[in-house]
Amino acid sequence: MIKITDLEKYYSTEEVRTIALNGLSFKVKEGEFVAVMGPSGCGKSTLLNILGLLDEPDGGSFLFNGIEVAGFNERKRSNLRKHNIGFVFQSFNLIDELTVFENVELPLIYTGVKSADRKERVNEVLERMQIMHRRKHFPQQLSGGQQQRVAIARAVINRPKLILADEPTGNLDSSNGNEVMELLTELNDAGTTIVMVTHSEHDAKYSHRIIRMLDGQKVTENVLADFKGI
Amino acid sequence: MLGNLINIAVRNIRKNQGYSILNITGLALGITSACLIFLWVENETNFDSSIPDQERVFYVPINQKYKGEWQTFHASPGPLAAALKKEIPEVNKAGRLVNANLLFKVGDNIINSNGHYADTDIFEIFGLSFIEGNAKTAFENLNSIVITEETAEKLFGTVEGIVGKSIFVNNSPPLQISGVIEDSPANVTYKFSWLCPFQHYSKENSWTQTYDNNFVDTFVKLIPGADRIAVDNKVRDILPLLTQDNKQEAFLHSSKDWHLRSKFQNGVIVGGAIEFVQLFSLIAIIILLIACINFMNLATARSEKKANEVGVRKALGSSKKILIAQFLTESMMTASMAAGVAVLLLYLLLPYFNNLVERDLTIGFNEPAHLIFLIGITLVCGIFAGLYPAFYLSSFKPLDIFKRINKPGGSAVSLRKGLIVTQFIFSIVFIISTLIVFLQIQHIKSRDLGFNKENVVQIPVNGNIIKNYNSIEEDMFALGLVQNVSMNSSEIFSSGSNGSGLSWQGGIETEDVLIRYRWITSNFIETLGMEIVEGRNFSNNSRNDSLNIIITQSFAKLMGPGSAVGRIVTADKNYTVIGVVKDYVYGDIYGPSQPVMFLSGLDEASFLYVRLKPGIPQGMVLGSLQKVLKRHNPAFPFEYTFVDRVFQTKFKREILISKLSQIFALIAILISCLGLFGLSAFTAEQRKKEIGIRKTLGSSVLNIWRLLFQEFLFLILIAIIIAVPIAYLLLSQWLQGFAYRIDMNFWVFIIAGAIAILIALLTISFHAVKAAKNNPSNNLRTE
Repeated sequence: MIKITDLEKYYSTEEVRTIALNGLSFKVKEGEFVAVMGPSGCGKSTLLNILGLLDEPDGGSFLFNGIEVAGFNERKRSNLRKHNIGFVFQSFNLIDELTVFENVELPLIYTGVKSADRKERVNEVLERMQIMHRRKHFPQQLSGGQQQRVAIARAVINRPKLILADEPTGNLDSSNGNEVMELLTELNDAGTTIVMVTHSEHDAKYSHRIIRMLDGQKVTENVLADFKGI
Repeated sequence: MLGNLINIAVRNIRKNQGYSILNITGLALGITSACLIFLWVENETNFDSSIPDQERVFYVPINQKYKGEWQTFHASPGPLAAALKKEIPEVNKAGRLVNANLLFKVGDNIINSNGHYADTDIFEIFGLSFIEGNAKTAFENLNSIVITEETAEKLFGTVEGIVGKSIFVNNSPPLQISGVIEDSPANVTYKFSWLCPFQHYSKENSWTQTYDNNFVDTFVKLIPGADRIAVDNKVRDILPLLTQDNKQEAFLHSSKDWHLRSKFQNGVIVGGAIEFVQLFSLIAIIILLIACINFMNLATARSEKKANEVGVRKALGSSKKILIAQFLTESMMTASMAAGVAVLLLYLLLPYFNNLVERDLTIGFNEPAHLIFLIGITLVCGIFAGLYPAFYLSSFKPLDIFKRINKPGGSAVSLRKGLIVTQFIFSIVFIISTLIVFLQIQHIKSRDLGFNKENVVQIPVNGNIIKNYNSIEEDMFALGLVQNVSMNSSEIFSSGSNGSGLSWQGGIETEDVLIRYRWITSNFIETLGMEIVEGRNFSNNSRNDSLNIIITQSFAKLMGPGSAVGRIVTADKNYTVIGVVKDYVYGDIYGPSQPVMFLSGLDEASFLYVRLKPGIPQGMVLGSLQKVLKRHNPAFPFEYTFVDRVFQTKFKREILISKLSQIFALIAILISCLGLFGLSAFTAEQRKKEIGIRKTLGSSVLNIWRLLFQEFLFLILIAIIIAVPIAYLLLSQWLQGFAYRIDMNFWVFIIAGAIAILIALLTISFHAVKAAKNNPSNNLRTE
């Protein structure tokens, strides 16, 4: 599903040029669950930005489902993104002014789904995430675990092929953290590809494979489970 | 989608109540000010629009050439109207008006009424609507009169069934009512209360039949489709043709220009009240701009909080367009709420505003113009205020959400600073203008007029006052309350009669000089406290001085070097100069004194002047004066005014500008401060951690306050530096319009700057001190 080859990304100020990704290459197969680990500043977030089509690489190739997307403009990237990729963030990134229902509904509005269909699909996902009873609440009225469940509901509402998770348990206690990881595993079992950035060895163990990074490069790759593909 | 956008906008406004209140208040004040100004401008620009076929109706003023320059006068010769109608085929109607005061009596009802002698064509030119009678037959009888509803109500208590009834007029045969017309609307230049046939007036004044005297107002209505310029050229040719005098010409002054463009210079329109319309329209735009700037500044200042939301929305597939729509919806909602508040404020404030501008303005939301203006201004504010924040916020890149460091871009910070500077530039210019206008008015008020305006009663001359003058004078002196009594053919401040073609001994090109002349009684100069600088006053017996004149210093100057006393001035007769008085101010009270010649005589008297003894209650004296006049002039009601009050009315317009500039300066400053208040809260919030660290390290509250204040102080200093030269240029230009004016003192600018800094200091201090007093552990905990 994902194939990146010699991916490069630089950040420049007037005096300093920082290399964020330095010839990074790897593949992610459809249905695979990959964890990316590494110290702060190793380029994990930059990688997620590029994989999530939120940023462009300065060099190398990025094939998404066999299509070269490295040179896509903002409109094309946005189009591809909203139909194929879901995001889960460490700080949940729910919109405070919107209710649980509206937060989850948002991606459907952007993809032009009709109101009646939206309602049905949001209710279905909220049921699945066991957060239906909280649908009229605002994010600040929920616990951290509940907020992350809402964020996951929002990430899957468009039935994306890929979920990018950035430290999804970083702001949660261990019990809530485990629940979230279970949810992600369930989604993966159902066929969704997941790329997760994490500092937690415990969370990484839920994945099929761990890619370790340092200074913008891949250092090691550990296969944890036998992924047979779907 | 729209429902979603509105929903989010409402929640955002509700969630950020503090900012929303600042924004809505600022915009509401801006919209209210703009609407009030709009109502006034609408009234000004619609003046005389009730005249039917307004584009075809013209006034006919006269240009006369003096010293190579055209001077424009309203009055024209009596026969001109008929000549225009006869000689120029495009002139469909031509009529004259002469203003007069008549004492009407119906039963016990006596009123002194100001009205007009008019030609029949005047009815059609002004489109006067008859309730009873008609224009065609109204003036068939020389002793007929047409009255308005208001005059009818005053005299008869009704408008119905009064045609054919008589009105008794002092010293004249009764007038018979031939028609009743509708009252004139409020915003017209020429208002009517009664009209009598012009012939009624001219049959007793044979001089009205010649081209030698300019005394009537002439009006014409052209045929449909007439070429105005071509007709104007023909009108300009007519006086030189008929009088063989090419130093005068009549011309057309459109009824559309009567109210707003009636200032002439060298025979050409150079402006008039239109300048105020333009000035206040500009002020309305500036106030709205200041209010919109608040919205922009507060919206972009909050961008740090918004950046995350924008990132998430973009990551979830929102396009830039949808985000722009979302932010514009929010600004439109804010503007709409502000418009709602503004409507309430308008209803509350309009009576006070009407009182101030002396108009009867009304808001009518059933009037399309008013509704369109309110909706238009709301849309413009919403879009203008929201556009920049919308583009700025929607341009945030979604990748920022992973970094969690969303510092607003440098461009927004610089722009925000630039906008604060802009707001304060306007505010400071307003403050300086307010001070200068106020000082100029004070300067004029304290001007040496060349006479003492205090404690002098001015009484219009009517009925038997001239006939019984000697007895009146005697009885007034006998009261023991009066210092002096006298009469003048002109009101003291009016330009009065004038003439040219005079000559004098040793004079060069004397015919080309316009001289004002007044007939006075011997003690007028003493009554008004004028100063004789050379020669003597008139003697008590006016017959002895029938060929003597007193002139003002500026006239004496025209007569060349040496003493003017004893020299001969030739007008209709040869007059000997017996005295020279100090120049005094009349006509244009801002301008230099024009030459005046005083003749001795009371037959032409129009005003009685009575100087009261100082220290005696005015009420008591007025009661005694009334008794004296009632005794000698019983038919007429006692009417009076004080000369100093007449003087006050001379700068009504300037006082109005002064008041309006004070009010709008205050609003501009208030709105700017609302913005500053919000931004200082934002800055204090943003620097919370820094303040916590500084306090932990030992910084005092004062140091923290200074830290937060100096950022804004710098911006206000820049605003002062920019505003001062702008204000200097604008006000220098304004002052150029006054011959008698103040010099601009640098301390005015210092005071204005100090006021701006002080206001800003007070505004910012609230949040600065609050932040500085906060427990540092609270500030650090927020991280």
